[in-house]
Amino acid sequence: MHYALNKLAYGGLLILGVTLVSFSLMVWFGPDQTYTLIGKNASAEQIAEVRQQLGYDQPFAMRYGRFLVDLVTLNLGASNSSGEQVYSILKKTIPVTLALMIPGFILGNLLGIALGLLATYKKDQWIDRLITGLSVTGMSISFLVVIIFLQVLMCTPYGLNLFPVRGWQVTDLASYLHYVTVPTLSLVIIALGYNTRFYRAVFVEEAGKDHIRTAKAYGASPVTILWRHVLKNSMVPIITRFMFSIPLIVISGSLLIESYFGIPGIGKVTFDAITSGDQPVLKAIVGLTAVAFILIQIATDFIYKLVDPRIA
Amino acid sequence: MVSDLHYWSRLKNNRAGLAGLIIVVSFFLLAVGVWAGLLGQGWSAAGGERWAPPGAEAWFGTNLLGQDIFQRSVFSVRTAFEIGLIVSILSTALGAALGAIAGWYGKSWVDGTVLWLAGVLDSIPFYLFVAAVAFALQGKPWAMQIAMIATFWTATGRLVRAEVMKLKTREFVLSARAIGLPDLLILSRHVLPNTLHILLIQISITFVAAIKTEVILSFLGLGVQDGVSWGLMLAESTQEVLAGHFNNFLAASIMLFALLMGFNLFSDALQDAFDPKQAAL
Amino acid sequence: MTCWGKLNPVILSDNKPLYKFLTIAALVVGAACDSTSPTQETGDRGYSIYRHSMDGAPSSLDPAQASNIYANFLAVNLYDTLYRYKYLARPYQLEPNLADGLPQVSSDGLIYTIRIKPGVHFIDDPAFPAAKGRALRAEDFVYSIKRQFDPKTRAQGAWLWQNRIVGLDEWKENGSDYSLEVPGLKALDERTLQIQLISPFPQLTHTLAQGYSAIVPREAVDHYGQEFAIHPVGSGPYRLQMFNSAGAVLVRNTGFRQEPFNLEAEGFDPGVHGGFELEALEGLTVPFTDRIEVEFIAEDASRWNSFLAGELDFIKVPVTQFDQVLESREPLSLHPALAEKYHLLANLESGFVHTDFNMDDRRIGYHPEPQQNVRNKALRCAIIKAFDWPKRNEVFYYGIGQVFPGIIPPAAPEFDEKQSMAPVQRDLEGARMLLDQHDWNPSNLPVLEYGFPSSVTERQMFEQFRSFLGDIGYPAEKVRPMTFASYGDYARAYLNRDVMLITIGWTMDYPDAENTVQLFFGPNSSPGSNSANYNNEEFDRLYRSGSSLQASPMRTTMYRNMNRIVIDDCATISGVSRKMILLWNRELRMLPDRSFVGGFFFRFVHTGDAGTNPGEPAQ
Repeated sequence: MHYALNKLAYGGLLILGVTLVSFSLMVWFGPDQTYTLIGKNASAEQIAEVRQQLGYDQPFAMRYGRFLVDLVTLNLGASNSSGEQVYSILKKTIPVTLALMIPGFILGNLLGIALGLLATYKKDQWIDRLITGLSVTGMSISFLVVIIFLQVLMCTPYGLNLFPVRGWQVTDLASYLHYVTVPTLSLVIIALGYNTRFYRAVFVEEAGKDHIRTAKAYGASPVTILWRHVLKNSMVPIITRFMFSIPLIVISGSLLIESYFGIPGIGKVTFDAITSGDQPVLKAIVGLTAVAFILIQIATDFIYKLVDPRIA
Repeated sequence: MVSDLHYWSRLKNNRAGLAGLIIVVSFFLLAVGVWAGLLGQGWSAAGGERWAPPGAEAWFGTNLLGQDIFQRSVFSVRTAFEIGLIVSILSTALGAALGAIAGWYGKSWVDGTVLWLAGVLDSIPFYLFVAAVAFALQGKPWAMQIAMIATFWTATGRLVRAEVMKLKTREFVLSARAIGLPDLLILSRHVLPNTLHILLIQISITFVAAIKTEVILSFLGLGVQDGVSWGLMLAESTQEVLAGHFNNFLAASIMLFALLMGFNLFSDALQDAFDPKQAAL
Repeated sequence: MTCWGKLNPVILSDNKPLYKFLTIAALVVGAACDSTSPTQETGDRGYSIYRHSMDGAPSSLDPAQASNIYANFLAVNLYDTLYRYKYLARPYQLEPNLADGLPQVSSDGLIYTIRIKPGVHFIDDPAFPAAKGRALRAEDFVYSIKRQFDPKTRAQGAWLWQNRIVGLDEWKENGSDYSLEVPGLKALDERTLQIQLISPFPQLTHTLAQGYSAIVPREAVDHYGQEFAIHPVGSGPYRLQMFNSAGAVLVRNTGFRQEPFNLEAEGFDPGVHGGFELEALEGLTVPFTDRIEVEFIAEDASRWNSFLAGELDFIKVPVTQFDQVLESREPLSLHPALAEKYHLLANLESGFVHTDFNMDDRRIGYHPEPQQNVRNKALRCAIIKAFDWPKRNEVFYYGIGQVFPGIIPPAAPEFDEKQSMAPVQRDLEGARMLLDQHDWNPSNLPVLEYGFPSSVTERQMFEQFRSFLGDIGYPAEKVRPMTFASYGDYARAYLNRDVMLITIGWTMDYPDAENTVQLFFGPNSSPGSNSANYNNEEFDRLYRSGSSLQASPMRTTMYRNMNRIVIDDCATISGVSRKMILLWNRELRMLPDRSFVGGFFFRFVHTGDAGTNPGEPAQ
């Protein structure tokens, strides 16, 4: 109980910190949206009017205070650019991003685990070296290069031309697969290198432990060893990595993919809001990100306890 | 202090790591050549024929403006090193400093503050942060580097903190405190040098991260403003590949890949060499 | 025919003929196997679909905020404007849209009386009582213009009628109370409008063809509040079915007033329009197409790939593809294999691109000391002489842009085709002489700050500019980029006079040079549209006397003189009008336009389906 309260307090402080820093960045350094909302031949009065409409003329503390209140009461307001309610923007775009990123994320991790196990099993043999080599190669390729290359390869007549260049008209499973394949492929290629290397390191460490040697001495089959002993006991680092890479992959990773493939998800909305200075949208996203981050930490702790009772 | 000979010999035996080091050093020499004004100076001359194929005049061909792709790729090596070195060294230093302080005063409010700061910075959407810094600095060249340093230090910070907390219990530290040496002295003279292996590894990892981030930021228009970098070349190339002109794309991708690969091999070798767990085997 | 499995091997060499072949092959195959082509979509219902692509997204669907061309395109289809431009007539001519005829203007040019057509309704929408769209009244026009002067609307079109209409500016100062009347903007009865001007404004009718003047119902604005921007309720030929950041879907407004298509009235000329099969459209009811799917694809690469894959019926071809697609430049023609499948139109833009010197900046512009003033002017003129327009045209506009001297672009009726091109011809000798004569040398030349919003093309233009100046000895370190992460930031900077060299494009609001010469009218300086902050007494005097005149040879001469003044003062490096290459499916019968007709052409798009055309009059 004490522990839970502690965590909550810590989480709260973190949210406060994140919102304060982000809000300051937005207000003091962010782009001034006024100038995209005025027409041609604007007069100084019109500019002042728009600024007032956007709320730029109020003191910082007041704006920050209102921001916190809005966040808590979930009064997210409407986008300054399009007029749409932020809530409905989020409602439309978050599912798209999740549908877009989750397959690649899960696949990337599963493949990484599989390859890591394989490499551990055949440690120092040619398979291991091949896998390690490939993973280093994977880590050395830029995300951008992968996306450009895959788009040319899979979606244009210079390549295989099997998939749509852009868009997200998903109505059923077939169309979903049609649109999600190339983005998923890019994600997997990018993440695989890092994932494989990480998991391999974790498994190798686990495999070097005494109880594994004991199991081998007792004649347990490799599969049993790998599955029952190595994998199960590595759950803590695996879960940590899984959980902590969620914000990174889903939020930052989706940005490039969505822009490039024209997918109307939260990443693209975020980036557009950042460059145009659409504060209501940004405030909502920053707040959500902070909360999500905290929740992930709490969830991770909780899962730890489930998986490994040794952790107090 | 643990003997370093063991580590260095392991390092030397790692062939892939050596190959990586050679690649990195070669690129570094290229960068030095550009700094010295010997190479890649014609990166901005827009005189040549548009989209010329590789030839005697322009070894990798030209881009839309008739600029020499080879010169631009070579100049980009300098940009990459400038950004990579500055960001990796400064962020690692910052991380080491904050991490050491947090670890030393572990479980106190100092520690709590540093961890909180790290947590906050990790939670802010990265591009928001960079964009904001870019706007704040009005497009001055340091915006991107500052944003990267401000977010990359957290990884080093956490690692150093953990290591310092472990080292705090070691005999030599306990004896130093018993003598009454000031904390700062102990930290800088005795504790931090023992984290050097972590720092070296972090520098190489962060270098890779910095360059990769610069590529994406320049592509989005938030990165390098004047000059040329592989990110800018890739951004140009997205329009060109459609018209069937792949030279820009290939030149930038291949050189970028080579440098990153070299660094990754080298940092892998470093990690293998310095990993105490492997030493037991 | 399945579109999957088109296997083309990736060949990584620089073999241009091969790429050309691949592109053409892809386009041909794509057009053939496109699974949602108009002909295949029409069953016995004759449901027709037109898939349009735009190279950008609308700023907002609220007409008061229709500040970019994409928003304007959609606004004029969802709503009615009093006037529009004739579909086919070139040069562009005004045509009544919702209005019953051209306005009756009093002899002093101050009172405009306009009647609107009967039987026009807004679409059904929950904003109305019983969700039934009501009849449109003259009051709605009054309300729509008043809205532009209400701060809560965040409108962007007010400048068109600012200081023009009697009582409107005061109405705003008095708190924008809709219950108060504006003397100069009255509905005389349900179908008659009267506008009273403060001083003659010959371009008023043109402003009534803008998306900004579109007529919106008050009930919808009150009901939806800020969300009105994504929930349009209009009386136009289409209504909105779907809208997001990737595209919009417009479907036929079945309640749209029935208007038969009259070729002659729209300016049909068999000599010019012969090849587009528009003759068969005579007498059909507008709009011709049931459904329009508009895709917002700003990225050239994606848009082009989408077109190649047969997912779009229309595209404004990205400049990087011109090489692949065009067989020859003069005359402009498509590669024969493409010409079989697609129509081509070279559409001159209704605007121009130019680089202004900030005359307010003493390093390059006006200087209180007369001698320095002269030196600055010489420097500006030298820079202009060093600019290589043919090269700029060639690299960025495929050489088909139209370069012209001054500030009256070819799209304006007052454009002088016979004027001397000397001001835009490169003259390195002359430039160097000017620098020498006025004591400019590499060590005392000022640092030039060239502003632009960060993007690949803009950066390339800057680098090219720097190399142009290098040819007259301008040191490369003294030509610096001043980048901005977004266009809004760039606008803020130059509207605050912080940018030294400002490269901007101007899209004309109406085909009249008044719209471009006002860009150099002193009182319009920043934050107005005179970003060069140009200030010339003679120019201003001519502008003032010309602004109340109707178009006439005398006024044209005046404008051309004003053009001369700006050129002689070397205030701007100007300019080029881009020519856009528009491609569309040959099965469609239409003449697209991205200039003044703009979005108005949607209602005339005929998908040429073999099935029953719902637009055909009942037998």
